[in-house]
Amino acid sequence: MLKIIIPTIMLFPVIWYSNSTLIWINMTSYSLMINLMTLPLLNQAGNNSNNFSLTFFSDSLSSPLLMLTVWLLPLMIMASQHHLMKESLTRKKLYLSMLISLQMFLIMTFSATELILFYILFEATLIPTLIIITRWGNQTERLNAGLYFLFYTLIGSLPLLVALIYVQISLGSLNYLVMNIWFQDMSSSWSSNLLWLACIMAFMVKMPLYGLHLWLPKAHVEAPIAGSMVLAAVLLKLGGYGMLRLTIILNPTTKIMAYPFIMLCLWGMIMTSSICLRQTDLKSLIAYSSVSHMALVIVAILMQTPWSFMGATALMIAHGLTSSMLFCLANSNYERIHSRTMLLARGLQAFLPLMATWWLLASLTNLALPPFINLIGELFVIMASFSWSNVTITMTGLNMLITALYSLYMLTMTQRGKFTYHIHNIKPSYTRENTLMSMHMLPLIMLTLNPKIIMGLTY
Amino acid sequence: MKLPILTIVMTTIFTGTMLTMISSHWLLIWIGLEINMLSIIPILTKNQKPRSTEAATKYFLTQATASMLLMFTIVFNAMHSGQWTTTNIDPNNMIVSLTMIIALTMKLGMTPFHFWVPEVTQGVSLMTGMLLLTWQKLAPISIMMQMFTSINSIILLLIALMSVLVGGWGGLNQTQLRKILAYSSIAHMGWMMAILTFCPSLTMLNLLIYLMLTIIMFTMLNMNTNTTTLTLSNLWNKSPTITMMILISLLSLGGLPPLTGFLPKWVIIQELTKNNNIAMATVMAIMALLNLYFYMRLIYSTSLTLFPTPNNIKMKWQFQPKKRSLFLSPLIILSTLTLPLSPVFSTLN
Repeated sequence: MLKIIIPTIMLFPVIWYSNSTLIWINMTSYSLMINLMTLPLLNQAGNNSNNFSLTFFSDSLSSPLLMLTVWLLPLMIMASQHHLMKESLTRKKLYLSMLISLQMFLIMTFSATELILFYILFEATLIPTLIIITRWGNQTERLNAGLYFLFYTLIGSLPLLVALIYVQISLGSLNYLVMNIWFQDMSSSWSSNLLWLACIMAFMVKMPLYGLHLWLPKAHVEAPIAGSMVLAAVLLKLGGYGMLRLTIILNPTTKIMAYPFIMLCLWGMIMTSSICLRQTDLKSLIAYSSVSHMALVIVAILMQTPWSFMGATALMIAHGLTSSMLFCLANSNYERIHSRTMLLARGLQAFLPLMATWWLLASLTNLALPPFINLIGELFVIMASFSWSNVTITMTGLNMLITALYSLYMLTMTQRGKFTYHIHNIKPSYTRENTLMSMHMLPLIMLTLNPKIIMGLTY
Repeated sequence: MKLPILTIVMTTIFTGTMLTMISSHWLLIWIGLEINMLSIIPILTKNQKPRSTEAATKYFLTQATASMLLMFTIVFNAMHSGQWTTTNIDPNNMIVSLTMIIALTMKLGMTPFHFWVPEVTQGVSLMTGMLLLTWQKLAPISIMMQMFTSINSIILLLIALMSVLVGGWGGLNQTQLRKILAYSSIAHMGWMMAILTFCPSLTMLNLLIYLMLTIIMFTMLNMNTNTTTLTLSNLWNKSPTITMMILISLLSLGGLPPLTGFLPKWVIIQELTKNNNIAMATVMAIMALLNLYFYMRLIYSTSLTLFPTPNNIKMKWQFQPKKRSLFLSPLIILSTLTLPLSPVFSTLN
């Protein structure tokens, strides 16, 4: 694992010693090379894990997420080039340093064995994200967004720290590989209910669960494009990853405690999808769509069946790529008209036909069109929840319908119809933007051919 | 103040604390505390303003009361147990244990005797405030560490919890930086004392890291003589590097991983959980978020937003910085980046 982490750390000197002509080229090319080095990790044995050392390991759950993280860094860098054009060189370098440090923490988080190390790095990802949102966001609301983001996550995760330490003292070790063998059933007392809550709430806030999702629209909307991309694609998945790791010690309390959360998720799915139909702000629509997709993931993880775990992992990867792509598309709009309002730039298909293709593909994957992996994820989750309780099909089916509705609403609003008069002088698409979209779309399409690498632990 | 006088007074302060730290006879400890208190009064009144005199008076009154209470406890203990060493205080003696705790927490500025800390820190200059919040804590904490086995842990935990609460809530409405750092000191004292009866080496660890962070904060604030949040927001104009350092130091002071300030909180929570004080650990950890909120407010006004101000001094690079920055760089690195070195701190005993 050090062969990935050390090159990522060494990207810092690469940034700080590059001059202004070489900085973007250096960063993008070296992070793409780190990508290549991470590809062999996808060769995972089904039920075993590659243990690199006592501190780092990778198994079929963490390697697709790791792959997603390293894949995203060059994409973030490409996407940020435009809005950083006017800044001074030091500011550019600082921004890229924040991205690199975030990347470093995320790689270590997804490969940590010891759960306290996972916790420290989980919290550590907050600092660069906070700085990116608050310093480089564009509106005044970014200050509030940063505070909400930081404090929602921290209040959820401090009980997690206490719970992890308690588990370490009572179980003996928090090394994940050891915990797989040493786990015991939790007693059915009030205090173990509280322990379950303490362990889970941190990840619920991060996912986010419907009642605790208030930070997400603020943070996603106010962040600059790289911040939105990394938030939507990877940081939300940290919550899912944490929950999937901790379920092993939380039996059988999960069967009792999960009911309110499953209900909140099912209801919240429909609520946030419906809100998407009434949004005027494009980024806000995509943010609420993230909440809706993640609610499905929470339902899947709380149900703890093999199919639901497969669906959860596949949905996390698929949603990461799709959501990130949608934010890039929204950003390409924003860079041209400097507004996030959907009404202001309509009928773009007449001006930017290739971009309209990417919009179409992104909307289609968002609404879980077969044969993309989004569908595989959602289908597995819906089937698992149907077998858990037949009634849930009403909610999940309704959600699929509303998801289709708002995805097509977004597509037709921005691309189809009569164009607005004032957009006749927008710049045509850059090659950089087309590359960005294709690099999002290609993994999605290729994974359709072999989805077993993203199916996770229980394939 | 003239240099010879300053030297004598500083030496006396140093001697007082040293005397307290090395003795095991209660009378000498008390004498050390008194020497320390009396010699810091001229330092507090160094700039001849009425506000400084007021601060010095408040400091003197509270510390003298605490010393008197301590003397009472010492004599009472000597009367009842017949000896004057620190290590043999009878924990079953109600009066002794209670008044001892009251006296020492009054010296340290913990709730419910914390009211003097913001006022006194506000009334004096930045560097004197630093002396007050760092050096003056050493003597009482060394006493408490010598006698930790005989302290009534319930009372101390209660005081610690209240200190963390008051330190968090009290700092929320402040814009004066010295008062913010005073409330931060109250909260950190709470964390330190919470773990004293269980594992005093963790108190030492927390004290060390807190001292480093407070020295850094005061030194950086002193560079531009910033005393309010408003003046701090002009710092980006004078020295952007210092704004970044303030960001990192304040995040470390607030206890965010992966900075070193997280380490004391982590090990204190671990030790409290081992001793079945899980509720206390959770409540203290959540209250520390209040502290983080007002540090975040400071960070927002310094590093993450740009206060609109014209840059009048275009030639500022020609002027040498006049303020001394004592070991700022190594201290910053030590207090923000050494979390991976945490096993080293197990040698503190």
